[in-house]
Amino acid sequence: MSNKTFRKWAAASLLSLSASTVAIADTFVFTAIPDEDETKLVERFRGVADYLSEQLGTEVRYIPVKSYAAAVSAFRNNQVQLAWFGGLSGVQARRLVEGSEALAQGVEDEAFQTYFIANTNTGIEPGDSLQSMADDLKDRTFTFGSKGSTSGRLMPEFHIREAFESAPEDVFSRVGFSGNHTRTLRLVEAGTYEVGALNFQVWEKELSDGNIDTDSVQVVWKTPPYPDYQWTIRGDVNERFGDGFKEKVKQALLNLDDPALLESFPRSGFIPASNDDYEPIRKTAESIGILD
Amino acid sequence: MLAYPTVRTSFLFLAIALAGLLVADIAITTSNPWQDLGRFFLGVATPNFFSTEGLFTALLRTVAFAFVGVTLGSICGFLLALIYRFLPVRIFCAFIRAIHELFWALIFLQFFGFHPLTGVLAIAIPYAGIFAKVYSEILEQADPEPARLLPPGTHAFAAFLYARIPDCWAQLRTYTAYRLECGLRSSAILGFVGLPTLGFYLEASFSQGQYSDAGAMLILFYVLIATIPLWVRPRLLPAYVVAAPFFLGEGLPIVWGNVKRFFTEDIIPSPIRKGEGLAELSGWMSDLMINEALPGIWNTVVLTQIALVATGILSLLAFPLISNHFGGPVRRTSGHIFLVIARSTPEYILAYILLQLWGPSMLPAVVALALHNGGIIGHLIGRQTNTLQLRPDAPTGFARYSWELVPRVYHSFLAFLFYRWEIIMRETAILGILGIYTLGFYVDSAIQNIRFDRAMVLILITALLNIGIDALGRHIRRKLALQTMPTC
Amino acid sequence: MAEFDFQGLTASFNGERVIGPLSFQVHRGDHIGLVGKSGAGKSTLIRLLYDRLEAKAALVPQALGLVNALPVFHNVFMGQLDRHSAWYNAVTLVRPFRKDREAVRLLLEELAIPEKQWAPAASLSGGQRQRVAIARAVYRQAPVLLADEPISALDGPMAQQVMAMLTKHFSTSIVAMHDVDLALAHCTRIIGIQNGQIALDAPASEIAAADIATLY
Repeated sequence: MSNKTFRKWAAASLLSLSASTVAIADTFVFTAIPDEDETKLVERFRGVADYLSEQLGTEVRYIPVKSYAAAVSAFRNNQVQLAWFGGLSGVQARRLVEGSEALAQGVEDEAFQTYFIANTNTGIEPGDSLQSMADDLKDRTFTFGSKGSTSGRLMPEFHIREAFESAPEDVFSRVGFSGNHTRTLRLVEAGTYEVGALNFQVWEKELSDGNIDTDSVQVVWKTPPYPDYQWTIRGDVNERFGDGFKEKVKQALLNLDDPALLESFPRSGFIPASNDDYEPIRKTAESIGILD
Repeated sequence: MLAYPTVRTSFLFLAIALAGLLVADIAITTSNPWQDLGRFFLGVATPNFFSTEGLFTALLRTVAFAFVGVTLGSICGFLLALIYRFLPVRIFCAFIRAIHELFWALIFLQFFGFHPLTGVLAIAIPYAGIFAKVYSEILEQADPEPARLLPPGTHAFAAFLYARIPDCWAQLRTYTAYRLECGLRSSAILGFVGLPTLGFYLEASFSQGQYSDAGAMLILFYVLIATIPLWVRPRLLPAYVVAAPFFLGEGLPIVWGNVKRFFTEDIIPSPIRKGEGLAELSGWMSDLMINEALPGIWNTVVLTQIALVATGILSLLAFPLISNHFGGPVRRTSGHIFLVIARSTPEYILAYILLQLWGPSMLPAVVALALHNGGIIGHLIGRQTNTLQLRPDAPTGFARYSWELVPRVYHSFLAFLFYRWEIIMRETAILGILGIYTLGFYVDSAIQNIRFDRAMVLILITALLNIGIDALGRHIRRKLALQTMPTC
Repeated sequence: MAEFDFQGLTASFNGERVIGPLSFQVHRGDHIGLVGKSGAGKSTLIRLLYDRLEAKAALVPQALGLVNALPVFHNVFMGQLDRHSAWYNAVTLVRPFRKDREAVRLLLEELAIPEKQWAPAASLSGGQRQRVAIARAVYRQAPVLLADEPISALDGPMAQQVMAMLTKHFSTSIVAMHDVDLALAHCTRIIGIQNGQIALDAPASEIAAADIATLY
């Protein structure tokens, strides 16, 4: 390529980079951990974006990401200012961004649960505790959800370690990470994995929508409740979007009462949350060594 | 036969791969894999081109990222090729090309975030390293005589322009065009980590079992690659290069503080960052080595060796498909189509598809690596047999294959295979992101846990492993006197 | 007074001496024909002389050293790359200047290949390629010509014409050739090489083809 073409190219690319920076400087951007099928996420959060945009009077944009870590990084890097995190990703994000705070959680998130599910071909019967099911569970194939998920990884791993006093790899013959809850459900339903652990809300919603073949898969154990999902906002939003902006976002979320939108989460409503609510999650994560 | 070093080497590698099979995790874990595969092929047969509004935008972005990344990579690679004789430059280039595009993307995502620069640099940096090496090899092959004849005192630049470039031009152009095709593949898979290219939508449709949508995307991707000679014209190239930066999408703005933070805090091993002293650091390091690096290295090496031999076997089986010495035009045409599809599909996408269908184990990875690389080598060897003239009374059928053709192409077959050894290992490592326990798995886990210090150490280890295999591959090729054109 | 004094020229190949040590002097106006059977060391001697003379000599090696991918014009123009700035050369690569085009065309006319000015060197026949290399040497405008079998692929009249042209353009020349009659007709002095040594050195007017035949 000649020199001239290169100079043109360089100028053009600089121009396009700066143009893009200007275009979205004043947009309030949020993201969410990709805990479910993408179509569902996009549908759900486009709705939230429209709602927030209307309530806040600023342009609001949702960007989909491919991993929990990408959601945390985008939040940390100030490329998004608000995020719908799980318990663990929220703790990670708030540790990394000083001044950030949990704004609101779903009504159901105060007492969230993980369901252990099993393919019916395995003959595993529901039990009261993991210990009591030890013989049934040992040497099965097992899948978590995403590596960074609270209900799909952190809590089930914690309970497995507590019950068997060894790492999941040593308990099960094969341990996988399906990527998200919907996929965990599908993989166990199809028999790819014999056992899996997933977010109870996803199970309940899919069940009520008639999307689960209950002859193939059933719940075999439920964890004790723990706090999970929450909206977390950066501490510096007021400087960028004006005084009281954080409060406005909080009120908008708490006031969200569009049944269709709430149904898509699925949550019955949002209630205030605080950073301290998630201390148990932090301690659990430290105890199993996925948080330094 | 065992007197031939090439045969002995082949058997040695075959034995290693068989031993690897004994310890490797090879299994189909889904309960009805063939039904899923059937649904997938049905999806490809009934593509749905209008499901995702983003499909054509994604295609455009895929092309744009490929163009900008490859252009930048080729310019930097060319400049590096000029000073490639200096050892530090060679080491630097070996290092940057030993790290896979996806790893680069994962690194840049941490501080540039979803800015177009992330995707551009993820392609440009490793490509610059590859271009530097190949360009310098091409330039070295140029006839030195014209340069010697130039009047003394000729400016070095003019000498280079007249006596070096013109003779290499055709080869440089062919190679750059080939890399552009590779760039399209790289660009497509960047979507798997969140950039707005084809992989983004492919992953989404696939994971939701929307095979018709996925089929449409794959078909469009093949058409895009197969028609490269039609739409990539020398005359149009400057227009593409100038326009491409405008089609990268706007992404999100860069916050420069993040860049500084990444290099001064994030990647510093946590015991040092927290000032805990050397004892803690060695504990941190040995924990990382024992629990992640060593299992990762072991699985990566085992999988690489199995995939290498599988690639070899598949190439030898596949080259007759396009060889003029066998079959009729119909068979050859379908053979061509099979090989084009095999080599146009990135290993990563193949492995992703097979993992979805067969469940997690090393098997999908081996098959994906063998299909893609075997498709490439089979194509090259098949083309080579077409230049061979056999005596009129040469045997036909299997005797022709085994007595006339294989012995004649075996040398170049091995040369290509050992040339791709390092490439196969680089891909093997990256397939860990999909859940196979190679190094990429542990890199991805570290990143998912926001532990970039660990991720960087593991990426460095991966790079060193690649450099080691590259050196070993070159050593073997030299020992066996195997020569390859750099356009493999 | 000798223009060039070559003393103690030697060359070895794989530890075996193939040339010299030999010494001779060249005077301005000498047109030397270098003869001897193949393998006698003529090409090696031409190389040795070129290394000594460098900027003062234009060379036509046996392999010609053309850049196949470039057109004839640029191959010829390469003879003067040292006289222009880098940017001038770079622009010429893309679009040659009129005066250079004109100068090269005149040379090619003299060599009877003006129609080949824009043909790639790779497309030329052996004789045409030799003439391009000669044109490049002439365009170089050096005081001395060193040429190694420059007309081996040219037919009779054309060989005569080219030899005449070379003696016209260069005040001094040393040309290795196997055609004894041509050497006698166009050179002023004949040097015969045998086993790496000078076996014969005399004015062309004083010797006959038969004297040279003893070298073969």
